[in-house]
Amino acid sequence: MIRPLLAGALAIACAVATPPAAHAAGTLIWGMPTETDILDPHATGGWTTYQVTYQIFEGLVKEDLTRADVPSPPLVPGLATSWDVSPDGLAYTFKLRPGVTFHDGTPFDAAAVKFNFERFWDEGSPNFYKKSKAFVIAYTKWIKAVDVVDPMTVRVTLTAPNYQWLRQGLQSYGQPLMISPASVKKYGNDGVALHPVGTGPFRFVEREQGVKTVLERNPDYWGNKAKLDRVIFRPLQDPATRINALENDEIQMMTTPPWDDIDRLKGEGFVLTTNPAVPYINFLHLNFKFKPMQDVRVRQAINMAIDREGIATQIYKGTGRSEHGMLSPGTNAYDPKFTSYKYDPEGAKKLLADAGYPNGFKMVFELAQSGTGELVETWIQRDLKKVGIDVELRKFEWITYMGKWAGGMPDDIGMNEIGWGMSTPAWVGIVSRCDSAPPGGINSGWFCDKAVDAALDGALLARDDVAAAALYQKANRAIMDDAGFVPTIDDLQPIMLSSKVHGFVNPPEDWYDLSIVSVD
Amino acid sequence: MWRFLSHRLAATLPVLFGVSVVIFVLIHLAPGDVTTVMLGPQASETAKQELRHTLGLDAGLPVQYGLWLARTATGDFGVSLATQRRVADLVLPRMVNTLILTAASLLLAVLIGYSAGLVAALYARSGFDRGAMLATLVLGSTPPFWLGLMLVLLFAIRFRLLPVSGMRDFAVDGGVADLLRHLVLPAVTTALGPAAIITRLVRSSLLEAMARPHVTVARAKGLPPIRLFRRHVALNALPPILTITGLQLGYLLGGVLLTEVVFAWPGLGSLLYDSITARDLPVVQATALVTALAFVLVNLAVDFVNAALDPRMVED
Repeated sequence: MIRPLLAGALAIACAVATPPAAHAAGTLIWGMPTETDILDPHATGGWTTYQVTYQIFEGLVKEDLTRADVPSPPLVPGLATSWDVSPDGLAYTFKLRPGVTFHDGTPFDAAAVKFNFERFWDEGSPNFYKKSKAFVIAYTKWIKAVDVVDPMTVRVTLTAPNYQWLRQGLQSYGQPLMISPASVKKYGNDGVALHPVGTGPFRFVEREQGVKTVLERNPDYWGNKAKLDRVIFRPLQDPATRINALENDEIQMMTTPPWDDIDRLKGEGFVLTTNPAVPYINFLHLNFKFKPMQDVRVRQAINMAIDREGIATQIYKGTGRSEHGMLSPGTNAYDPKFTSYKYDPEGAKKLLADAGYPNGFKMVFELAQSGTGELVETWIQRDLKKVGIDVELRKFEWITYMGKWAGGMPDDIGMNEIGWGMSTPAWVGIVSRCDSAPPGGINSGWFCDKAVDAALDGALLARDDVAAAALYQKANRAIMDDAGFVPTIDDLQPIMLSSKVHGFVNPPEDWYDLSIVSVD
Repeated sequence: MWRFLSHRLAATLPVLFGVSVVIFVLIHLAPGDVTTVMLGPQASETAKQELRHTLGLDAGLPVQYGLWLARTATGDFGVSLATQRRVADLVLPRMVNTLILTAASLLLAVLIGYSAGLVAALYARSGFDRGAMLATLVLGSTPPFWLGLMLVLLFAIRFRLLPVSGMRDFAVDGGVADLLRHLVLPAVTTALGPAAIITRLVRSSLLEAMARPHVTVARAKGLPPIRLFRRHVALNALPPILTITGLQLGYLLGGVLLTEVVFAWPGLGSLLYDSITARDLPVVQATALVTALAFVLVNLAVDFVNAALDPRMVED
């Protein structure tokens, strides 16, 4: 009698204590630092959300995210097989891809494209969705007309030439991706967020808010079909939980690993991937309404007082690089050799004395409360203290901070910070143009230089990428000569993978092509 | 008895009303604007104003509160601003998850606390008693999130015995056994603190009851030890034990919210966090309300049980 009892007890113990069974073939579980927003690409923004919607939806033009060794992702045909731009740069004629259907079986054609443009652009259309307006605006504000030429051809006419327009449509604020018109009619404009239906390599299965979003392979995909059976996105806010889950094989991919754990995880066999050309930078907006900041010598002194190399090597542990200009690395206009101000605390002190601040001054540095940023912020505070500038760190919870940052700094604040950028170099205009001042724009420090605006205007009109790049570099030089901002660090986008994950490419973009990935 | 019960029941309404008012005012006092979250930083002021109007956020606070109260009274919690889902669909499954974790933790805390406390009282000043008192002192003073991390390091990372996050395996559906495996670490983490407190209180209540004169008399009269313990010791020691157990249940309801973060347990805690950071007022309100309701109901239940055990309480 004892034996069966013992065997039974053992069986129960094993059932309770065995490690998780092997994962179903080809399921990738991705541990994300935050929950994604709603899954309606026209009515939401943010990288985390686009990391999910990018797998479900597609636009007429796509970024090729299967290559890491390019300065910025090449533009490739998506739902359009080709496009022509008229000689005056105003008319874009898209030839649509034949034989494509949405995940719900709705055929993709010019009528579907027209419907989508009406939804996110045409305020006069009954299909217009008000909420999408503020999100897709960087793309739609250039549009004058959208015409169906024939059932598989669509022409979009712009109000003025803008050769960055296609790339501007691929950024992580609202995206002009194609949603199934039938799904919008079925679920309503608000309802599609819960029933996302696109044409992409993965289709939506289910979402448990705050727990998981599940996608599965689209077996009818028009292009190379996804290798994975499923992708599961899991929001795991606590970094320690993310790491534990990775070590315990409950997730196989983890974004934003804490810097201090990277070496240990590598030692345990996990694979770290980075990319040197990610399209965003970390920088400080200097407030031109704050009196001391109106003197260029003060702004230069702040640029010289901060030891960026130290931040890159000692805090980022090699997953960051010091940055000296305001162009994002992941753009074709970026010049890796660009330099502006070297670390020189003595020179900074001298400039401050020349500007009438031999004993420095006090200022407030507004920032968002976020776990990892704290080390960098206190580092900057310490460096500025060394040259006599007494910095008070004033922290806000993210939503509060976003309102303050987007609203522009009042005149008693010295500076604030953000990490941002895009794969179009035109992004620099959003934070630096005179007409991008709040409200409506996000030039939080009220920087304004007509020469910079002129160079940026010219760049939009340059049909040739090389000529455009030269103009963006000219604008960048002018901004940094004026020390209008303090660029600090490029994040090299560290992503930690389980050794079971194959084929993942960390591209010069903030979202990834998961159709090429497989998991043992 | 019925008067007592109806009295207590009626007293819960003002508590719930107060909680809802305080939460409503607090979330409106917090800076940051839901329309910035919903429309993005590049939205124009006109667009934000329009959205505020659509959502009814431009009405005065008392009006907004009144509308919310009227809706909630009919059981309609409204629609989440951030996720566009029905609030009830978000809150109820999370509440069930929180209750599962709370119930498991309570069960553990009671099992450990009552048995360890009993043995420690019966064998007072023995080696077990001293060891138990030391262990409960340490466990009772340990922050649960630290304890949680240590348990994870030991049982999940080192020995690979148990999962560390979520309620179930995402790749394969393992049924109830899988849920139990996921429950072990978070439940133990939350339970150990309250278990320590319950142990100490059970021990001291029993010792106090055993030292009473009528117990000595009964023992002298030759009452069998088991009957003596059941009728004269345990019954007298129970009211404080039950009260502290009820209080610990309240503590557990709060404690699991922290544990939920460490173990990514999809309960009310993370929902509350997400909805506060998104200024998702309808969800914050509903979550706070059901949490307060749970608290109140637990206290009420403890009062009822105590009243049933000790008629003197009803007389007040």
